[in-house]
Amino acid sequence: MARIAGGGPRLESRLAVGSVTVRNRVVFAAHLTNFAVDGLPTERHAAYYAARAAGGAGLVITEEHTVHPGDRPYEKLIRGFDPAVLPGYRRLTDAVHAHGVPVLAQLNHNGGQSFGGYTRRPVWAPSAVPDRLFREVPVALTTAQITELISGYAEVAARCVAGGFDGVELQGSQSSLVRQFLDPATNRRTDSYGGSPAGRRRFLIELVAAVRAAIGPDRVLGVRLGCDDLPGVRPGGLPGGAGPPGDLELPAGAEVVEVAMAVAGTGQLDYVNTAIGVAGSTQYRITPPMGVPAGYALALPMAIRAALRAGLGAAAPPVLGVGRFTTPEQVREALDGGACDLVGVVRGQVADPEFAGRAVRGEPVRTCLGCNQECVGRVGRNRWLGCVRNPSAGRERSVAPGSAVQSAPGREPPTGRVPVNLTLGGRSGGSRVLVVGGGPAGLRAAATAAARGHRVTLCERAEVAGGQVRLAARAPGRAEFGQVVDELLAECSELGVVVRTGVAVDAAFVRHFEPDELVLATGSRPAPPEWAVPGVYDVRQVLSGEVEPAGPVLVYDELGHQPAASVAVLLAARGCAVELLTPAMVVVQDLGLTLDRERFRRRAHELGIRQSTDRVVLGVTRTGPGADSSAGPGGERLAVDVLHHPTGARERRECAEVVCVVAAEPADELWRGMGAELGRAGRAVYRVGDCLAPRRLDAAIIEGDRAGRAVGEAR
Amino acid sequence: MLVDSVRLGEWVAPSRVVFGPIETNLAAGRALSARHAAFYARRAAGGAGVIVTEVASVHESDWPYERAPLASVCGPGWAEVVAACRPSGALVLAGLGHAGGQGSSAYHQRALWGPSRVADVVSREVPGALEQPEIDELVDGFAAAAGLAVSAGCAGVEVNAGQHSVLRQFLSGLTNRRTDPYGADRARLLREVLTAVRGALGEGPVLGLRLCADELAPWGGIGRADTSVLLPTLAPLLDYVVPVRGSGLTVAATRPDGHTAPGFNRELTAALRAGLHAPGTGSVPAVVLQGSVVDVDMADAALADGTADLVEMTRAQLADPDLVAWLRAGRPERIRPCTLTNQHSWVRDPRNLIISDDAEPGTGYEGVEPGVGTAVPAGERSGAGPGVLVVGGGPAGLEAARVAALRGYRVHLVERAALLGGALRLAAALPGRARFGLLVGWWERELRRLGVVVRTGVAIGGAELDAAIGDGVEVVLCAGSRPSPPSFEVGPGVLVRSAAEFESAVLAGPVRAVLPVGADVVVHDPVGDWTGVGVAEQVAAAGLRCVLVTPDPVAGTQLDRTGDLAEANARLQRAGVARERYATLRAVRDGHAELVDVHTGARRTLPCTVVLDCAHRLPDDTLWQARPELARAGDCVAPRTVHEAVLEARRAICTAQNP
Repeated sequence: MARIAGGGPRLESRLAVGSVTVRNRVVFAAHLTNFAVDGLPTERHAAYYAARAAGGAGLVITEEHTVHPGDRPYEKLIRGFDPAVLPGYRRLTDAVHAHGVPVLAQLNHNGGQSFGGYTRRPVWAPSAVPDRLFREVPVALTTAQITELISGYAEVAARCVAGGFDGVELQGSQSSLVRQFLDPATNRRTDSYGGSPAGRRRFLIELVAAVRAAIGPDRVLGVRLGCDDLPGVRPGGLPGGAGPPGDLELPAGAEVVEVAMAVAGTGQLDYVNTAIGVAGSTQYRITPPMGVPAGYALALPMAIRAALRAGLGAAAPPVLGVGRFTTPEQVREALDGGACDLVGVVRGQVADPEFAGRAVRGEPVRTCLGCNQECVGRVGRNRWLGCVRNPSAGRERSVAPGSAVQSAPGREPPTGRVPVNLTLGGRSGGSRVLVVGGGPAGLRAAATAAARGHRVTLCERAEVAGGQVRLAARAPGRAEFGQVVDELLAECSELGVVVRTGVAVDAAFVRHFEPDELVLATGSRPAPPEWAVPGVYDVRQVLSGEVEPAGPVLVYDELGHQPAASVAVLLAARGCAVELLTPAMVVVQDLGLTLDRERFRRRAHELGIRQSTDRVVLGVTRTGPGADSSAGPGGERLAVDVLHHPTGARERRECAEVVCVVAAEPADELWRGMGAELGRAGRAVYRVGDCLAPRRLDAAIIEGDRAGRAVGEAR
Repeated sequence: MLVDSVRLGEWVAPSRVVFGPIETNLAAGRALSARHAAFYARRAAGGAGVIVTEVASVHESDWPYERAPLASVCGPGWAEVVAACRPSGALVLAGLGHAGGQGSSAYHQRALWGPSRVADVVSREVPGALEQPEIDELVDGFAAAAGLAVSAGCAGVEVNAGQHSVLRQFLSGLTNRRTDPYGADRARLLREVLTAVRGALGEGPVLGLRLCADELAPWGGIGRADTSVLLPTLAPLLDYVVPVRGSGLTVAATRPDGHTAPGFNRELTAALRAGLHAPGTGSVPAVVLQGSVVDVDMADAALADGTADLVEMTRAQLADPDLVAWLRAGRPERIRPCTLTNQHSWVRDPRNLIISDDAEPGTGYEGVEPGVGTAVPAGERSGAGPGVLVVGGGPAGLEAARVAALRGYRVHLVERAALLGGALRLAAALPGRARFGLLVGWWERELRRLGVVVRTGVAIGGAELDAAIGDGVEVVLCAGSRPSPPSFEVGPGVLVRSAAEFESAVLAGPVRAVLPVGADVVVHDPVGDWTGVGVAEQVAAAGLRCVLVTPDPVAGTQLDRTGDLAEANARLQRAGVARERYATLRAVRDGHAELVDVHTGARRTLPCTVVLDCAHRLPDDTLWQARPELARAGDCVAPRTVHEAVLEARRAICTAQNP
């Protein structure tokens, strides 16, 4: 992490940001939610932001509001230009202010980082340079249109003030017309809005003046600035993907610092926010995945802060840094290192709405994994934001001040050491619940039910609870994944769940236990393909260490997600020759959604992992010495018959082992054996997670949580 | 004849043209909306005989896309659609279905429902296997939805056992691995559903079935032989059947784009109909021909030769809602051709874009933007109004001239090339996109009929333009686009041609004559639409070595919005086109192209003597830059597609001074 000498502010210290004072340095910074309906902010928005305010955030900055009808790169964008947003603004700001927290609105126009699919109008940009993601040629703005847009910003800013916002932030970073004006790659104008740095800056300077005039001196005005290709970063990459993480440095005289100086020099600015990366082309720098170290992007705020302090002294506006901060300690370190005055924690507060309060109180938080499955992965597909860690994210209900943490009846209230779901609703209590299976679904079900006052016993067959998450966390760079089950176990423990490991539950056990309600979370087991022979293994056998392939290895992937990437990298890093082969068009295709693809491809390149698409395995035969034995690998080889399905071509691969990453089958014997019996007896039975249908972590957690809430409701 | 009426159940449809259930994204939440009503009413007014509304999920366990209708909340919407269509006589049937394992768990965040735990090929998600209580709920859901639909005034329902349906998944050995009675008899669930629906409907209302008759997966999927045995057993329950094809493996097969020949289901449908009419059978359901039927001659022939009793022409009625009306008027040549590109008719995509059409941008936007919609032209005016000069004879210019003439202007159109059509002619040269050429012919006929004065081979200069403006003539600039300069370094002796230059040459002569003998061709495709893929196919078909360079994980990444993505990549591989993926073209020199990996930065080289550059194009706006007060439309604003060109042309004329 970037550091400068001299120390910095404490997390819990107050700070004046223009006309408001924040109570601590943790900011819920702007990010897309897809909560808007018909372009209007919703009750869901209000509850979502209010939950973070209730949880202790120092400042909330909403997602972007567009300032012009021609700007609609995605469907569920807040249309600030529409006066109909005003009631939603008031609802949102009232909900946040109820917790004594200031709230700002981010204003933006996405410029050429957009397309005309929704508006059926051409896209506007400084010059006719198509965006790398949307690839639609924009129209170069006329001077009259520039004036129209600046008026649009000012009008929306005034509406935000009328709607109760404490101020506005102008986006000039990852996806914005402002950045496109600043960047010579997208601004090729020859008029007074292009050319020299001062020319390219003119739009922003005029914008700041117009917006300040619209909001008056008593509201907060911030600007978010970004940059992309930093020296010291490998091409297209982030530090930490391969080899030791290196500190990023911003070159002396970097133009983004000059921009910050110029804007701050107008005297109109109350803070500077920052971001690294450009939406669409280097999205993985904006919301990087698991494995990227906290503070990877601090070079930018640090350089800006140093320049502002040198140039403006005490008048220097505070600077906000962001970048995968998942724990309070990381936030403290960033502040202590003098990199910034405020720290944006987005995914950390999505996972734990009480992040800031816990940080102030010195308590552990429910940690964001950086898995990007339900936040980035859903939002990128036009779905509302969720969270693997926090099944209530995006489903918050309005939280009254001072009622953040609920206690279970009949017991001591939680000590507050463990994050408890904010929005459990009413408690019913009183059922005797047996949860079978200690993977994430079972642990979540147990914790939720216990938090609602039920007496819960959880039995896990293995000696250690955690299920497949434990295996997934063994892969290189995936250790953070294990935090889910560690923290769920801690939560169960706090809530008094009796967790028994090494206990195999069968029908006799259940009959003897006589639970009021039964939650089956018995998981899944590998389902070997029909062509499996000795030497063909499941990915779980490799991750668990049960088998240690020596290679060459063929990894056959039908799932297209982390398991195949994990096992391929694990084996290649051990020195195996690895080929990753898939029937799909793209190797590990879902890594694109979670922004893991870039890191995986660089690692695979370094390790020499061969990657083959559009191929299915037809059969495997054993050849060589020992082929007649079923004793497993011992010098014999596997011959794999492969079909290249687009052409029908047959191919053959020789290897020592095949590792299959294919759909598992539910381990649902207990359900099939006694589900009906318990139903007849009037006992509620819930199936959650893989034992219903083998899926991913998000499904396990959501279904576990749902079952935990349902327990006792039917009685 | 298509214009003849036909009896279905106790109802009579005014024509034999069916508008099939198609995803629209017009829903408000999960209810049919007023826009749905306007959308269907427009087809009804244009003469459609039967309109099947967008498939509504019969159970809450099914939420296949965000705007997918949910039957339990569709009652008012169905009533509104019926009321809107009733004046035209069209029968409104409610499409009912359940997508099963092909659905999405993203919205309700619950396990999908399927016959067995077989992962869907596309989503790779494993569904939960239905047990008897859920099966019962599903059957009840179909019956309840049918009851709701007829009580809302629908003439009946159509049950979906086609492409995206749990009923097909039960029928198929690919997805039904059950060992219970629903596996032993894979048609059991379908039979139960149809029986329950008929029970809920009674004898009068229409019960139709959309049935996958061929999954195109002979190793285990539903085959024609299975269907020919099954269908007669279902016949007593049905008023009509629509045989379709395709499975989870071949999602695009039901409504493929122009790479598949129109009318591909004719033989299958004829055989099934003949089987139903075999001696000894009782009441026989009507048979509907489906499958890229876009030409009225083909449709009429199918009725005449006994292939079918009705013809589904869904996309043809997206392109021209007045298809039947033009037939009744004896003016089939005036029907706007359907391009079959799927660029706007394939909206089952997370972005929730609204259904529309390439050349009829009013489709899906009925009543939303007055003046650019699909309203029936109310009596054309004589060309006695003021003058309009249209500069450019591509799609924007052709449409501007047509609409201006319809509104009574005296219209002159000048085009610098020898032929009208502009970029459409080039687009039509690409494999699978020949139907764009039909649009050019249609516009030429319309302009001729409307008396537009067309001058081709005339490059209008600034002086002439200013003179026209001085005479009070309204000018619309539709000058099209020009290539962008290469984004890569070009060494001496390297031949670089833009896609447009290449297609122009191909139109004049064979590909082999356009490219040097023994050329190593690199198709540079940073855009990822139909152009780069099509150019590469042309080069490979001429027997030349060809490599497609793309920054993306696949070639033609934007083809996901047409349903052609997987098939396009398969065609390239079958044609021997190498795909250099995740690659940026940096330079071409000394017989080699230098590529850089977009993530790793690794460099690699390829033999290369010719680059066909399919990069984005730039507006040809020279005339406009000097006269920014002039109206303009299409690629000279920003190079996009025919849809935007037509839309902007209409807007340009609508906002012009009314005569």
